[in-house]
Amino acid sequence: MKWAPVVLSAAVLALTTVGAAGAAGSLEAPVKATYLYKLVPFVEWPAGAFASPTQPVVLCLLGGDPFGAVLDQAVRGQKIGARAIVVHRLAKAEKATGCHVLYLSAPRALGAAEALQSAHGAPVLTVTDQAAGAGAVVNFVLRENRVRFTIDSRAAAENGLTISSKLLSLALDARAGR
Amino acid sequence: MALLDKLQIRWSLIPAIAAIGAILLVLSGLAIGVYDEQTYRAQKVREATAQGEILAATVTAALAFDDRPAAQEYVEALRVNSQVVSAGVYNEAGALVADYARDPGRHADPTVALHPPAFVGSHLVVVTPVSEAGQRLGLVALRIDTDPIARRLSRYVGLGLLLVMALLVVGVLAAAHAVLTRTNSDLADANRNLQEEMHERERAESALRQSQRMEAMGQLTGGVAHDFNNILMIASSGLDLMERTDKPERRKMLIDGMRQAVDRGASLTRQLLAFSRRTSLRPEVIDVTAQLEGMRLLLDRSLGEDISVIVDLPPDLWRVHVDPSEFELAILNLAVNARDAMPGGGAITISGSNRPAGSDATLPGDHLVLRVADTGSGMTPETLSRVFEPFFTTKAVGKGTGLGLSQVYGFSRASGGDVRIQSEVGRGSTILLLLPRTEEPLPLVTPDPSPVTRPPGAQGDLLLVEDDEGVATLVSGMLTELGYNVTRVDCAAGAVAALEANPAFDIVFSDLVMPGEMDGIALAREIGRRWPSLPVLLTTGFSPGVAAAAAEGLTLLTKPYGIGALAAALDAARPN
Repeated sequence: MKWAPVVLSAAVLALTTVGAAGAAGSLEAPVKATYLYKLVPFVEWPAGAFASPTQPVVLCLLGGDPFGAVLDQAVRGQKIGARAIVVHRLAKAEKATGCHVLYLSAPRALGAAEALQSAHGAPVLTVTDQAAGAGAVVNFVLRENRVRFTIDSRAAAENGLTISSKLLSLALDARAGR
Repeated sequence: MALLDKLQIRWSLIPAIAAIGAILLVLSGLAIGVYDEQTYRAQKVREATAQGEILAATVTAALAFDDRPAAQEYVEALRVNSQVVSAGVYNEAGALVADYARDPGRHADPTVALHPPAFVGSHLVVVTPVSEAGQRLGLVALRIDTDPIARRLSRYVGLGLLLVMALLVVGVLAAAHAVLTRTNSDLADANRNLQEEMHERERAESALRQSQRMEAMGQLTGGVAHDFNNILMIASSGLDLMERTDKPERRKMLIDGMRQAVDRGASLTRQLLAFSRRTSLRPEVIDVTAQLEGMRLLLDRSLGEDISVIVDLPPDLWRVHVDPSEFELAILNLAVNARDAMPGGGAITISGSNRPAGSDATLPGDHLVLRVADTGSGMTPETLSRVFEPFFTTKAVGKGTGLGLSQVYGFSRASGGDVRIQSEVGRGSTILLLLPRTEEPLPLVTPDPSPVTRPPGAQGDLLLVEDDEGVATLVSGMLTELGYNVTRVDCAAGAVAALEANPAFDIVFSDLVMPGEMDGIALAREIGRRWPSLPVLLTTGFSPGVAAAAAEGLTLLTKPYGIGALAAALDAARPN
């Protein structure tokens, strides 16, 4: 029986790795959907971003919806403190006001750049799939077949957001050599 | 004694106190042990929980974003704590994400559920939830080494050692107490035995003294009887001659002669009675000259007519502190011995002198020396060496017991003095009695009162209780002479009846030994109860009555008495 935990752990590890390896297609979107709401607890919005302590966190998708029902299922029942998470799918960038998290699925899509621009300086956690430097706070990247992310601290600061050091320590550019 | 009793009670409590102390020690030792163990566990749980919470707080992001390398890095950081056996980070589903194990080849449990801190074997398992801003992210489990039971017990070795020492001390104390108690009771027994033996010895010594006295008395009886015959002869012939003459001068002469003879007889019996009375040793300061003078008649009359006694004492002889009756007995014994050494008659010379300190090396201090010398046969050196042994005698059977000189020896030693003998066959013996000098004054002696004739009735009313008709007549005469109105009754019951009829008597004078239910002492008691202010004077010639009356605290006049002594005793018995 002594070997059982080891074998079991190895099996789980193998499964995950295999899953991640094949994620390029099928698993990438669900992982990103999960990460989207999981970012919320590690971010502190400036005072005034929420009207009340129970006001839900508004997660906005702009430029298409790569997640579909997966995201809705993931956030259902999730609570960040006393706040629930609601998902808004936006058609136009102008409607981005009122969002706390803004995910730009297709940065090159029309209006995405403008939307990013308009969110600059506003208390919005902007998330893209782009390489860093495009102006978003968090950028998802694929590294060794796993979904990782980079964090633009300057952009976060400009948006009045405080990113938890725990999150920062996981960001790629924060950890040299990874 | 009360303090001693209290101490005894406290002593008897010691075994119980010791036992209670031992039990308390063991209980407190156990309590301290249990408390320490609890404290140790609580401390361990606090430490492990804190460690778990730190780990949980650090791995939140790694868990949230499934960053296994990061989680692994955090969990590996626990390596610095050697007490951590293994640690595991688990995701929301409870599956292992990263783990660390101190010993190679080991891993953390593959799955885990949230539960309170638990001691499993020698390990403490703590499971801490991982959450960020209320969002549940997973679990962290820590397996911490606790000290092995042996090491934990070793911490109590000091305490245990102290406990054992304390128990030992308690045990030793209890044992010592038991020994002490036994020794105490042994001592008490020994003391009791000693007391009994001392008492026994006292009784034996008292009996010895009495027998010595009786022995001397026996030696004297012949002489005393002879002397009494002479006295009776004088009285009887005097009475015969008085019947035959009417001449007043002649009768006066005869009465004087008879009175002298009777006085001598009275004095002789008084000395004999005083001498034979059983008394305990009671030393007092005496004047040897006066003491010898007091027994002069006894010596003269009891030793026989062919023995002359010469007393030659200087006027400035020192006083001594001795028991008077033992002193008289010693002198009598020496005189009797001297007489027996002179079967053909001779002289006994009693002389005395003062011997200041320094003149005798074996006797420190001033001493008075009394010499009793005879002109008899003397003693051989062999006899001389044994004369002080009890029961050693050269006399024929029935003539002496051999206790005489041993009494003299015992008396002188008990008085702090010594006795020596100088003797030579054919040239007589001289016995030297050395007694230590005392500086204390003589006890005060009331002078002998002289008879006073008082007018009739001047002294008040007297109730005389006397059963003997002859004595009553004579005593009534003397009392009337002394100024009393005398009413006479012949028994104690009669006296009570007389007092009931007329309680206005001034004094009651009663014989001690009387026929009837009440004797003199009972009468005095009755009067003391019913007429407490009425004085009572008792009289008797019977020596045991003296002690009985003294025990009751009653005034007593011993028979025979003269009119002077009667007047003095009556005056002394009355309040003023």
